Amino acid sequence: MSASGDNFECGHSLEELSIYLDTGEFSDPGHLTECPECQSGLAALRRLAALGDELVSADIAAAGSGTDDWMQSILDNLRLELRPGRDIPVRPDTPGDILTETEGSISALIRSAADSLPGTAAGKCRLDGDVSTPGSPITVRVDVAVVFGHPLEERADALRRGIAATLARHTELNIAAIDVTVADVLEPGFPGPAAGPARPSESSEEKP
Amino acid sequence: MTGSPPAPDHFDLVPDALLAGRAADGDTVAFEALARRHGPLMRASARRLTGSLADADDVVQESLVQAWKQLDTLRDGDAVKSWLLRITASRSIDQVRRRKNHSDLSDLDQRLAAGSGLAGGGAAGAGNPEAAALSGSRMEALKAAVAALPEEQRRCWVLKQFNDQSYEEIAQTLNISVASVRGRLARARVALAREMEGWR
Repeated sequence: MSASGDNFECGHSLEELSIYLDTGEFSDPGHLTECPECQSGLAALRRLAALGDELVSADIAAAGSGTDDWMQSILDNLRLELRPGRDIPVRPDTPGDILTETEGSISALIRSAADSLPGTAAGKCRLDGDVSTPGSPITVRVDVAVVFGHPLEERADALRRGIAATLARHTELNIAAIDVTVADVLEPGFPGPAAGPARPSESSEEKP
Repeated sequence: MTGSPPAPDHFDLVPDALLAGRAADGDTVAFEALARRHGPLMRASARRLTGSLADADDVVQESLVQAWKQLDTLRDGDAVKSWLLRITASRSIDQVRRRKNHSDLSDLDQRLAAGSGLAGGGAAGAGNPEAAALSGSRMEALKAAVAALPEEQRRCWVLKQFNDQSYEEIAQTLNISVASVRGRLARARVALAREMEGWR
């Protein structure tokens, strides 16, 4: 590596080599394979990059795991505000009362219906339609990830039935359609809710 | 009626994009899973950028609050890691600007070592004390060299190395031109490579 740090005798500089390593751009790419100075400069920069990666790993290890107390105390301090979304009217038992449930609670219901199927996790979830007007047709759109090896169509059908049953039991929404998108296929090894606390799953045989 | 919350490790193998989608819908458990997954790197980056353990934790906390509020603006859930690191970087720079005395990174490494009992190079081969000692002192040398860089050069280097930012992103984070980023990053590397020459 040149002692000057600016320009090599060949006219190129470590700055050019540094940019080349990040972007692959170099004015005279053929030169790099021939010039010993540029090659030793590149080698030094590559060694530094490897050392830098080592420092990042050491610093991450020193930062501690995300399951440690420091992260727990940060999370405890966050006090995340809820995202209720839209209000959805519910027919009251006593005329004159006004009852609503939130869109956020409906999304949570849909997610838990998906999560209760083995090897399945829900992602984004949408209620398309005018939820604030009783009886208007609503389309549910939900992304899910399914562990590799599970038959996807069967899983999507079971999920549609599960969501329909859950929504019929807990809401008065007029569900026109349930669109399930398998957004991801997970590596086997995903524990799935079966590994967590036991929870009665929505029966996939139940008809909406 | 929302069902029991998933166990904390339930999301370990669920990809970022899916968790980001859930979190944007208001699922705090999914958001916490993202925070636990990327928190250590956020903390590591904030420590190098602010030079302060306490400031770094403040930065991580503020960054997570901001992330929760703005998650619905994130279009590509796959990008949530770099997005979190971008927030962390900006907040770290703000934190240092708010502070009067400049960061002293050599001090940081002493406090880190004192706190953790690790004299650096914790990842080095455990079965080979000689190699571990060499690798450990090489890491110490790199930390000292990074700490000795002029502040602006160090920021560029950390944003590239830790936060994996592009030149354009670094320019935006530091509010300088892309040409300045190129120059400072190169000068930082020249200085570090020269310092580390003896540690091959």
